Amino acid sequence: MSLDMMTGDVVQALRDRFGAGVVGAQPTGEAFPVLWLAPEIWVAAHRMLRDEIAQPFPLLADLWVIDETTRQGLEGQPASTLTLCSHLTSLARNADLRLKLATAGSAPSLVPVYANADWYEREAFDMFGMDFGRETRRILMPPTWDGHPLRKTHYARATERPPFVMTDAFFAAEERATPTDPAELGLPAIRDGEELMVLNFGPHHPSTHGVFRILLGLDGEEVVWAWPDIGYHHRGVEKMAERQTWHGFIPYTDRVDYLGGVMSELPYLMAVESLCGITVPPRAQMIRVMLCEFYRIMNHLLFYGTMAQDVGQMSPVFYMFTDREKGYDLIQTVTGARMHPAFFRIGGVAMDLPTGWETLVRDFLDWMPARLDDYERMVLNSRLFKARTVGVGAYDTATALNWGTTGPGLRATGCDWDLRKRRPYSGYEQFDFDVPTGTRGDCFDRTRVRADEMRESLKIIGQCLAHMPAGPVKADHPLTTPPPRKAMQRDIETLITHFLQMSWGTNVPRGEATGQVESHRGLSQYSLVSDGGAQSYRTRIRTPSFAHLQMLPTILPGMTVADLVAHVASLDFVMSDVDR
Amino acid sequence: MTLLAWLLLATASIVLLALLMVAAGVFTWVERRVLGFLQERLGPNRVGPFGFLQWVADTVKLITKEDAAPAGADRAAYILAPAFAAIPMLTGFGVVAFGEGWAVADLDMGVVFVMGMLALTVYALVLGAWASRNRYAMLGGLRAAAQMLAYESFLGLSLMGVVLMAGSFRMSDIVAAQDGLWFILLQPLGAALFFTAGIAAAHRLPFDLQESENDIVAGFMTEYSGMSFALFFLGEYIAVMLVAALGTTLFLGGWYGPLLPGPIWFGLKVGLICLAFIWIRAALPRPRYDQLIGFAWKVALPLALLNLLVTGWIVVGRAG
Amino acid sequence: MDDLLREFLPILILTALAGGLGLVLMLSAIVIAVRNPDPEKVSAYECGFNAFDDARMKFEVRFYLVSILFIIFDLEVAFLFPWAVAFGEVSMTAFWSMMAFLGVLTVGFAYEWKKGALEWQ
Repeated sequence: MSLDMMTGDVVQALRDRFGAGVVGAQPTGEAFPVLWLAPEIWVAAHRMLRDEIAQPFPLLADLWVIDETTRQGLEGQPASTLTLCSHLTSLARNADLRLKLATAGSAPSLVPVYANADWYEREAFDMFGMDFGRETRRILMPPTWDGHPLRKTHYARATERPPFVMTDAFFAAEERATPTDPAELGLPAIRDGEELMVLNFGPHHPSTHGVFRILLGLDGEEVVWAWPDIGYHHRGVEKMAERQTWHGFIPYTDRVDYLGGVMSELPYLMAVESLCGITVPPRAQMIRVMLCEFYRIMNHLLFYGTMAQDVGQMSPVFYMFTDREKGYDLIQTVTGARMHPAFFRIGGVAMDLPTGWETLVRDFLDWMPARLDDYERMVLNSRLFKARTVGVGAYDTATALNWGTTGPGLRATGCDWDLRKRRPYSGYEQFDFDVPTGTRGDCFDRTRVRADEMRESLKIIGQCLAHMPAGPVKADHPLTTPPPRKAMQRDIETLITHFLQMSWGTNVPRGEATGQVESHRGLSQYSLVSDGGAQSYRTRIRTPSFAHLQMLPTILPGMTVADLVAHVASLDFVMSDVDR
Repeated sequence: MTLLAWLLLATASIVLLALLMVAAGVFTWVERRVLGFLQERLGPNRVGPFGFLQWVADTVKLITKEDAAPAGADRAAYILAPAFAAIPMLTGFGVVAFGEGWAVADLDMGVVFVMGMLALTVYALVLGAWASRNRYAMLGGLRAAAQMLAYESFLGLSLMGVVLMAGSFRMSDIVAAQDGLWFILLQPLGAALFFTAGIAAAHRLPFDLQESENDIVAGFMTEYSGMSFALFFLGEYIAVMLVAALGTTLFLGGWYGPLLPGPIWFGLKVGLICLAFIWIRAALPRPRYDQLIGFAWKVALPLALLNLLVTGWIVVGRAG
Repeated sequence: MDDLLREFLPILILTALAGGLGLVLMLSAIVIAVRNPDPEKVSAYECGFNAFDDARMKFEVRFYLVSILFIIFDLEVAFLFPWAVAFGEVSMTAFWSMMAFLGVLTVGFAYEWKKGALEWQ
């Protein structure tokens, strides 16, 4: 079923209401319509889609910018220097819609419509200098940074610059420039006559799960306001993508969410394969699914253990590392690596499963369920654990969507939105599994949902074991990388392709494509733009963790510091995934 | 008093202190090995057989390690605080009767004295927190104060039932009163409350909110390093043993036991309680600060009062 | 007086020795340990940032409420000590007057509970 069918009436409604305001529809290979809007109707159209139609689009999944200045093949597109893109999702329709705005560097702000546009617009300002007509401060780069890194005019490598020397003066200036004055951020210093204590929570704190900083205003132990500060883990992955070959970027995706292993390779490759028109053979698809589910379990185990540890229970995390060790041994046998295997390839996977893999997988499947029962008794049934988590950090489905929350954090509120079920990819439609949901949307439910998801993942892996199809593990297509060695040794055509790919890189056909997966944290989406080169023209990475942190200032006030730690742990974010 | 008596006393004290220091060291090794065993890992296993000498290596390291006091610290208080954590605990052991006649000073108010010494640690924590001039330390210090107020209120009440039945605060009298029947059988509720308060008094997980590393980094100890940290550490472990010794005396029949000599039985019982403390640490999550204080005031205190009333009633009834 | 001194002398000696032990440990650390201060090292820990203002702050008023409650109960326990020790010898009058005392305290405690003084949040 084409997703277009489910948005046809919306596109018509937009045209009816705004007439020429809808500048045009861009033909893409995407599964959703891409519409160009005029600046005057940018905000009104979003408001209409969110609030004024039946089966609305409550989720602003992503908002980003494309610098069009050096792009080839723009025929048929409105003239634009910086194109602002928004990606909306309707759960009721199970459909997406992408809106684009041609700008010369300034655009109206969407914050009044979608609350979570705030951080995305700050990012667009930070990375591209996009002016939203409101006070914006840098979000990922340090405040002292000169220029906007994702502009095509900005340098990409340190070698393009004179050597960097750290001087005392530079150090002092950097330290001064870090926002440390709450008054400057517009945060109160006094509540009801009580002077607040301003506390730096992170970046070097045992419970912020990476280099994450929250500035807290405390009255005693109660949080009065919270101001998250991110960017300490920013590496410029989106910029790196513009300097790597399509094939060479695969290992970088592993490190976007460094606990996800192959999980982030999948949306990236789904987008690349859709640009190339490659169909992945069934065996490769099922190997991909099996590995993704293994990494989901690996991640959820780490989450489960650290969640218990963050409410003071020290032992579970050690038991779970025993399990993770077993899982990683298996992954190592299959992929040759443990945490960052870079195992998927354009058109398939790097190699076939090793002989005897069935035994290893079966052993793991026999081992885990009893362990999960143990953890259930140890953690979820513990009265103290319940006392610390039930009712703490609760939010409802509407709030979750308003802030762009997806994944277990959304399902804990009772909404069974799971892309693996709703929009099956890579063959997920063949599997029989349930989508665990919660009811209260609190820390306990978020833990519960993830604990149950591990059992579902085990079910899926069991089905992979039972039904693994035979056949090739890489597509028979000229753009598959690297081309099959046997074919290369036999025919000259493949040899030429191989030579070009190894020396220059794969030339991916012009176009735009999006890959979406339900990662262990939520919606992970790669939106690629190719202008026919050997490198990506623009790689937009939408990570779930970035979205999840944005809700903190609204949900933390009223909690104690100890609750804050439990809540932050229950979000299960990774800073590399937030900052990219 | 003769010179000989002086010498004897001094020797006994020195032996006691030396034993306590070694016991605290060995306790840290036992704790790490037991936690390792409980958590599917090894624990220290490199220094000496089974890693037994790990605590010696740790001591050497802690003595040679830099003690970096924060620039804004209140020097005198900063240095005094760890001493306050360790010295009262060592002194508290002076009144403990390890066997019949085996006490440095078998005071007639022994139990009260030990409780007083245990209560003194809160000064160490608050003083250390205040002196550090650090926000995390300050939060830890405030928690320590509030928690002390909460558990101290029922610690005293919980052991009053035993005192009623023994008719004395002297440690040896209380043990002697348990010849045949241990008080834990007569006072199960009192014992449960006492050990709950004891965990809080010794600042052990799940009641170690003043240094809860997950939210306030290391609480009152955040700024401490080197020897001043080691003294806090020593104080904590000796406090655990002191609570265990007090518990053994009050509820587990002190030195009574078949075959083996009294002091050995006493040591075994103390060791068992210490193991239970380690087990609890491995098993339980930590309650939130307001939950712990709510529990102390609203559950433990009324229960301790009830326990005392019922005990008094029964004792009076039997006498009358 | 002499008896009292005799009874407490061992404890005094033990305390002095324990204090001496603490002093020796601290001194040995001062003599042996490395000392290499640095402005970043000796600044107060605040997760990698410079502190905003003084860490010392005002306390919540709740602290005073609870500490008053605590003082009352601690005094009560102090009254109970001699009563409990002499329990075997006291008359029924003494027993009942202590019960009455506890009863009054319990009423006060219940009142404070009801007033919400024990709600930490």
